[in-house]
Amino acid sequence: MKLSLPRQALILAALSLLPGVGQAIYFRDKISWQSPIPPSEMVSVDRAREWGDSTVWIDARPDDQFARDHVPGAILLNEDRWNELLPQFLAVWSPGKKIVVYCSSQSCDLAREVAERLRKEAQLPDVFVLEGGWEAWLKKNR
Amino acid sequence: MKTHKLTFTLSFIFCLAARAELKWEQTSVELRPAIGDKQAIGHFKYQNAGKTPIHFKSVQASCGCTAAQSQKDQVGPGEKGEITATFNIGDRTGTQVKTVTVETDEAANQKTVLTLKAIIPQELEISPNFVFWKQGEKPAPKTIAVHAGKDFSVKHIKVTSSSPDFQTKVEETGAGQFKVDVQPNETSRLLASTLTIQSENSPKTFYATARITNAPNAPVAPALQKAPGAAPAAPTAPARPPAPTGQTH
Repeated sequence: MKLSLPRQALILAALSLLPGVGQAIYFRDKISWQSPIPPSEMVSVDRAREWGDSTVWIDARPDDQFARDHVPGAILLNEDRWNELLPQFLAVWSPGKKIVVYCSSQSCDLAREVAERLRKEAQLPDVFVLEGGWEAWLKKNR
Repeated sequence: MKTHKLTFTLSFIFCLAARAELKWEQTSVELRPAIGDKQAIGHFKYQNAGKTPIHFKSVQASCGCTAAQSQKDQVGPGEKGEITATFNIGDRTGTQVKTVTVETDEAANQKTVLTLKAIIPQELEISPNFVFWKQGEKPAPKTIAVHAGKDFSVKHIKVTSSSPDFQTKVEETGAGQFKVDVQPNETSRLLASTLTIQSENSPKTFYATARITNAPNAPVAPALQKAPGAAPAAPTAPARPPAPTGQTH
């Protein structure tokens, strides 16, 4: 069998794709750390500040990080203690409020997951993830 | 022709040979923790198949909920070991995918991403877990759908309200499916209740919240922040001492 050089190159390229395809099939249910957040569900620090008092800030980071420092007025709501913290957040939410969730940086998936649960489980509207997370807020405010 | 075949074979062998000397038994682990498990632990075993020692430069988990640990900092030729990834389940549900990035001083492949997939069983799925009425709104009942998760058989559920200001009514709508009607006695005052939902023969408790909210953009009560480990509380204190009211189906 005679194989031309371009065909050999094509076969090699196809072989190199196999592991990627296998992983995509294996993790077809969910790859949370790779799921991009749609731009419509993100908000910048400046935009969130413009909303003023109609914003409820949610800190999705672990308890110890929240205890060290957080956005003034932010409410702690993480998945470590979701069942306990959710009712406390719902106590301050009211219709018309915009919810801005943040974690330690944009690459961290905690904020995305908390935002998703608020939309899906509590069926709350206007839930956004803060672009750049806590670090972005610090940069603009300290 | 022979040259082409040789080029193909050598390229393929070169690709394989260029891979890391640190050989992983597996770089993906799928775990199915049981109900009530607090952690899911993944073990990623490796062996140094090369001829020189390998040093770990860093072992970093993708989020604070996962702790990754290496048994040693240096792996000699032929030596075996493992990276342990401990995922704290907390109140997470469904399929969770966390990663651990391992960085070594290997020339060919310095970074390896290990993937831990945990499928957390959910006995009951509640949708929505929050119902509310605006102040002054007609106190009509609102429905919460409860159904048994995959691989679970639930025949009865018990719903208890932390406040007597809200009434609950449970109705079976199908096998493992229930509808919970929640109704406030009145909506003229700001009220709240934590609804406790339990299935028979299960220690696990699920929660939903019912509340009479402020009108849009009106001032609200300050948030309650409690110490870790405390039990869920009704969002705002009921006007009267809570006398649990519930209904079992």
